[in-house]
Amino acid sequence: MVNLLRLPGARLIGHLAIVVVIWAVLLRINDAVDPLMSYYLALAAMYATAMFGMVILVGLSGQVSLGNGALMAIGGYVFALTSLNWQTVPILGWPWNPIWSMVFAGFGGIGVGLIIGWIGARLRGPYLAGLTLGIAVGLPAVATRFPELLGGETGLMLTVPYPEGGYAPAVADVPLDESAPTAEAVPLEQAPLDEVPLEQAPLEQAPLDGEGAGDDMLTADNFPSADSAASPAAEDLLTADNFPSAAATPTEIALPLDTALPTDADPIAAAGALLDSSFVLERWQATLAVTAACIIGFLALNLVRGRQGRVWRAVRDDSVAAAVAGISPAGSKISAFVISSFFAAIAGAVFAQILSYVGPGAFGLGLSLSLLVGVVLGGRASLGGAIIGGVLLVALPELVFKVAGERGWPANITDNAPNLVYGLLVVLVVLVAPGGILGGLKDGGKRLTTKSSTRP
Amino acid sequence: MTTFLDYLLGGLGSGAIIALMALSLVLIWRSTRVVNFAQVGQAMFTTFIALSIQTWTGSWFIALVGALAAGALLGVIIQYLVLRPVKRNDTSGAIIATFGVLIALQAAAGMIWPGGSQAFPQPFNNAGIEFAGRVWPISVYDFVVIGITALLVLGLTLLFTKTSLGLSMRAAAFNPEVAKLSGVRVSRVLTFGWALAGSVGAVAGVLVAPVSTISPNSFDILLVYAFTVAVIGGLDSLIGAISIGVFTGLVISLVSGYSDSGNAPIVALLLLALNLILKPEGVFSHHKARSV
Repeated sequence: MVNLLRLPGARLIGHLAIVVVIWAVLLRINDAVDPLMSYYLALAAMYATAMFGMVILVGLSGQVSLGNGALMAIGGYVFALTSLNWQTVPILGWPWNPIWSMVFAGFGGIGVGLIIGWIGARLRGPYLAGLTLGIAVGLPAVATRFPELLGGETGLMLTVPYPEGGYAPAVADVPLDESAPTAEAVPLEQAPLDEVPLEQAPLEQAPLDGEGAGDDMLTADNFPSADSAASPAAEDLLTADNFPSAAATPTEIALPLDTALPTDADPIAAAGALLDSSFVLERWQATLAVTAACIIGFLALNLVRGRQGRVWRAVRDDSVAAAVAGISPAGSKISAFVISSFFAAIAGAVFAQILSYVGPGAFGLGLSLSLLVGVVLGGRASLGGAIIGGVLLVALPELVFKVAGERGWPANITDNAPNLVYGLLVVLVVLVAPGGILGGLKDGGKRLTTKSSTRP
Repeated sequence: MTTFLDYLLGGLGSGAIIALMALSLVLIWRSTRVVNFAQVGQAMFTTFIALSIQTWTGSWFIALVGALAAGALLGVIIQYLVLRPVKRNDTSGAIIATFGVLIALQAAAGMIWPGGSQAFPQPFNNAGIEFAGRVWPISVYDFVVIGITALLVLGLTLLFTKTSLGLSMRAAAFNPEVAKLSGVRVSRVLTFGWALAGSVGAVAGVLVAPVSTISPNSFDILLVYAFTVAVIGGLDSLIGAISIGVFTGLVISLVSGYSDSGNAPIVALLLLALNLILKPEGVFSHHKARSV
């Protein structure tokens, strides 16, 4: 009797089935919930995408990195620059499509990851953490040095390539959330008029489409032609009279060194304030983020459960023994770095589309720290931990704000409460359950079934 | 040429502060082989305490002493509650835990001292000194900063070379097992190392606050500089931290002077990357930074 599970490709198909089911279920949920929940879903999926890379880098390869927020910035900026400046694919001359921007963002991440990985992979723990900390602080600062190309402190505005209707955040009608700082909300609204690409090519059907159910969101009816999408957006952007002047704002935007975790990172709050005005946008963003997370998750699943995953674990646990077994420790660490950079860059490109904006404030040290927090709390040694981490990063601040609202805490307590909880939880997890929430659940399950134990 | 010298002079004060911060990282690395990324968080916290004391008593000196004591106490608490229980072979865990402490301290400071950036009162004249017919880019306050730094370095050197406590500290850092067998109470000595580092970091915080502002995140960039300096200096060399710290202060001043202060972090990052490529074990040390 042939064991079907041992046939070549069986595992691949199994992983594909898992991912497609999760993808279909998430898109169903996205269809059923209100736009705010869709927005949260998009954020959680985006965080999970980046943290799949953190699991490989921190959990499997044992390299503590704080640079992944900066690598997300690479992805975000490449996405923004290519989609703002290119009408066709260079050399090939194909018409532009946001998917190409995503691909180039991924390439950008791979390139930068190679450089940092080459410097960092030969270094022991604290050295690498410090180097990547410097990158997390320094790289967003580079954006401020090139104001013409990269938009400086203000960043670059994006018109989200968006398949239905016009993305028209009728500015005057937007009820600004009181908790959202108005100064930071401004840059989202004042798109540089000359930089808005009038061609808003809709994304083609998502790559995984056809393999799964629940894709009615992506049917052709929901995809109007590029022309009809372009005109209302352009008109609305031109009613710029009630926009605050561009000159007044740049200094007020969060400085890269002053941003804390994304709960404070104002672009998110500001984007959240725009929710009511653009009902379907959030669904599209969530569809995009979930699809990207599923594709990246599928890649990660195959890597982690395959030979490469064993190589990473071997080098992490004993690099000398791994070298004796014919593995190049440096090569393995660099490969972990490059792959996590690729994942981070894709997540950055998605983040740019969720925020409709890229800027140093959104990709600062706080973002890098929150990726670390998420992956440590969720469980740094398995991909499920990244998913739990993504949900935590979105849900925990909301939970804290809800409690704070009910108890009537003052603003200074409320605003800082999520970070205090994060910090204390991180310390607690490291001391009590190094495997994170997922590791803790697994340990609990093991104690019940008394199976052989594996290290977290 | 005079501009060049002016920029060099102007960088001395900030160089001394960066050196102190790096020194506190080195002290902890020497005692417990942990890079304490929470150090700037501790310094920020104790500087806020110093600000409260200053507003309450009106005396900068009492504020400085208060920060010194608070820094030592905070260092002991963090070492005792967080770092000591981390498993010895879990290096990733120790690094992550220090970042957890940093996040928690910054959030706690935001709760206790709301209102964002706050000015720290200027204890001494910070205007350039007039001498020999021109205004020099160095102030009375810069001299105070350099003086306090020199005093601290002198004291630490005497402590490590002339006292039995310093000898125990060196023994515990060099080989804890053998030190334990020789009767050194290693865990107590390690905790003292954290207290010492906390105090040094607290002084750095109080000294930098009047020339910048203080907010929960305002010392983040100082962490990058201090780490850069500590690593280039070799992580366990006091003299390395001091000399590279002052050198980095001068470089930052030159970069800020000739181009733009926004370029300084990028230059520091390049210095760090260059050092890690060429001589990762640091200029003043012989231990191994690369593992493969």
